Amino acid sequence: MHHPNLTSDVIFGLGFLYLVQLVMNFFWTIRSLKNDGHCRLPSLLGGAEVPVAMWWGLYTAILTMLTAAHFTGYSSPDSFLILLPDWFKSAVDVSVSDPKYFFAQTIAVFAAIILFRRQLATDTAGWILLNASTMFLSLSLTDWDFRQIVGKPDNVPIVGMLFIVGFFTWLSFKKANENDARLAQGLGPLEGENNEKVLVWPDLVYTELIVMIGLTAFLFFWGVCLEAPLEEPASSVKTPNPSKAPWYFLGLQEMLVYYDPWLAGVVFPSTILGGMMALPYIDFNKKGNGYYTFNERKFAISVFLFGFLPLWVGMIVLGTFLRGPNWNMFGIYEYWDVHKLEALNNVNLSEYFWLYGLGMSMPVPDASDSFFGQLCTIIYRESPGILLTLGYLLLLPSLMAMTVFRNFAFRMGFFRFMVFANLVLLMAALPAKMVLRWAFNLKYLVAIPEYFINI
Amino acid sequence: MAKKPNTDDILSKIRKQGAASSDGEAAGSSSEEPATPVEKPKAAPAGGPADIMAKIRAQGAAATAKPADDAPVAKKSAPKNPADIMAAIRAQGAGGTAAKPAKPESAAPAKKTAAATAAPIGDLPPVDEMLRQMKTGSIGSATVSAASAKPVLKVPVKPAKKAATADASTRRGFLSWFSAGWAFLTVTSGAWVLGLARYMFPNVLVEPPSQFKVGSPSDYPLGSVSTKYTASNGIWIVHTDQYKGKSLIYALASVCTHLGCTPSWLEGEQKFKCPCHGSGFYMTGINFEGPAPRPLERVGLSVAPDGMLEVDKSVKFQEEKGQWEDSKSFVDASLV
Repeated sequence: MHHPNLTSDVIFGLGFLYLVQLVMNFFWTIRSLKNDGHCRLPSLLGGAEVPVAMWWGLYTAILTMLTAAHFTGYSSPDSFLILLPDWFKSAVDVSVSDPKYFFAQTIAVFAAIILFRRQLATDTAGWILLNASTMFLSLSLTDWDFRQIVGKPDNVPIVGMLFIVGFFTWLSFKKANENDARLAQGLGPLEGENNEKVLVWPDLVYTELIVMIGLTAFLFFWGVCLEAPLEEPASSVKTPNPSKAPWYFLGLQEMLVYYDPWLAGVVFPSTILGGMMALPYIDFNKKGNGYYTFNERKFAISVFLFGFLPLWVGMIVLGTFLRGPNWNMFGIYEYWDVHKLEALNNVNLSEYFWLYGLGMSMPVPDASDSFFGQLCTIIYRESPGILLTLGYLLLLPSLMAMTVFRNFAFRMGFFRFMVFANLVLLMAALPAKMVLRWAFNLKYLVAIPEYFINI
Repeated sequence: MAKKPNTDDILSKIRKQGAASSDGEAAGSSSEEPATPVEKPKAAPAGGPADIMAKIRAQGAAATAKPADDAPVAKKSAPKNPADIMAAIRAQGAGGTAAKPAKPESAAPAKKTAAATAAPIGDLPPVDEMLRQMKTGSIGSATVSAASAKPVLKVPVKPAKKAATADASTRRGFLSWFSAGWAFLTVTSGAWVLGLARYMFPNVLVEPPSQFKVGSPSDYPLGSVSTKYTASNGIWIVHTDQYKGKSLIYALASVCTHLGCTPSWLEGEQKFKCPCHGSGFYMTGINFEGPAPRPLERVGLSVAPDGMLEVDKSVKFQEEKGQWEDSKSFVDASLV
């Protein structure tokens, strides 16, 4: 079954995408001419003093050529040459189609956001990132498999959401940078100057009205253009393959790959909600109240962003774009083959311990034994995992209080610190279990299928 | 386009005006348009609501604080933008803060006239009252006899309102309508609940029976998984010798033991694979990959007197509880 990567419609449509980028960069060039000043060319090119806007003008010119090429060359898609090279596609596929690599990359992005916040959260860097992502999207859309997954009506809003998440992360760090610089000089935060206050009437109300009308118009337009992603009538004996939760639950669905339903579906979600509500009572840092800052709340913001970007948004991206039939991982340019084979032989910790570690057979509860006797055998069988879990949740908080979080424990007091430590540990439990799965094929630390308790 | 005033501008304007009014400097300059609101009553409703409000407040304040001709704000005959309006209002408030606002309801009319000479902005009549005044054209007289006009405006309104609400028969009538509404709501929702209860017992239940025949044992050759009854009844019929070396026919429920999706039988890979979270099961039903914590469940299978295989979905057999040893959970292929 061969699907052409390019068709006339695709090329023509991409022309509009390039046109939008062209217009955006045209105005950016004008802005750059006014604001950005000059830079010196490398000596290889003569070393002349040129305005920075020249580079943007150059990029705009390239976009003009791309637009023209797409609007004129769409009649012969087979000889159209603006495509992603295959080596690039396979490199990207390899790097994202393994959860290990994908998770490592999300962590790397998260770390880069924190470490290079001063360089990344500037106007020019933000614009470069936006251009890079739109250019990546435009070029990737020339791939048939990529179009299938990104163009699915279900997934279109998620692509939009990624841009929105990126923008707001960038914006918050930009504002935090400004305030951090001011605070370092001994000035108050920018928000204290009342520069951004507007009158409710008419300024705010008018703005809200216009946004409301614009959003409604946009939703109408969207509803007309993209068909609702309806499926066949539901049946209890037929599950679509792959079967995906609503996009905002895909993080939870990914968690279910690693944890038992009662943990990933009940305990962890409630802990997330309860933990969020507990945050104001755990936080003892009085700073950063009502204004953007990073330096005054390094720990809080880093921990939150770790939970939000790699563990929540990252998992949504993984679930949306990378999980295919049979819940296997697929690259973004890879065909969704129902028969793709992935070996996932998983082993419980108790099996590791008894069968491989001690070379014995597993203790089996005797069916003729009393309920209590069977329970004891099961607990004995799973004792390594139970001890490990109890140690993780009971011993580690005290260890944390004595070592890395000594200052926190001192300032929070016993009860608050215990709540805090357990919330941190439960959040870390997801990546910990993921790493254990990838490294040791570990299925469950505590596996008591008899009573539906698996950890 | 003029620059929009921000909060700082407004604040500074207010402070300036407050200072001006306390000095009484502005009194002279008010002669530009000494009594615009008084002399142009028709012009006022023509303006936007903001302008009207501003005018009203300016007048009210003029009436309460000082005679109209030397009121500090009267010079700003028609404030154009909200910043100016706010500034004007705040300036008046500042001008009159010395006097405590008298509660209009509790104050005696005699006291009112005295208080009105220095009453602050807080003592203004309600906005709708002022609007009505303005529209009927009586605003002129109200501002000319400013000091005395206000109590007159206010006092009659409240008692009239109280008299209306104190009417016992009206309240009782209202209550009866109220209770009738509640009764109607109760009856409606009661009927709705009954209808819902009825909905739980449908006339026809289109559900496959839990006991049904699936053909002769010879229809299921060794090493095969039949998906014939999966879509209709939610079971696979498996004939294999991989489980403990015996050639057995058994029926597996097509419900994943992780979260209850329906796995697919992949003939090429010889495994059941769940599309929801990737759990995998061997042909025997034993779980080996993904998050499923326990094997698929068997349902009852037996040979009926007529030699056909009969499935009984009302019973379940779980491997981890040792129930697969139960003879009702399989049919020994060597015996049939």
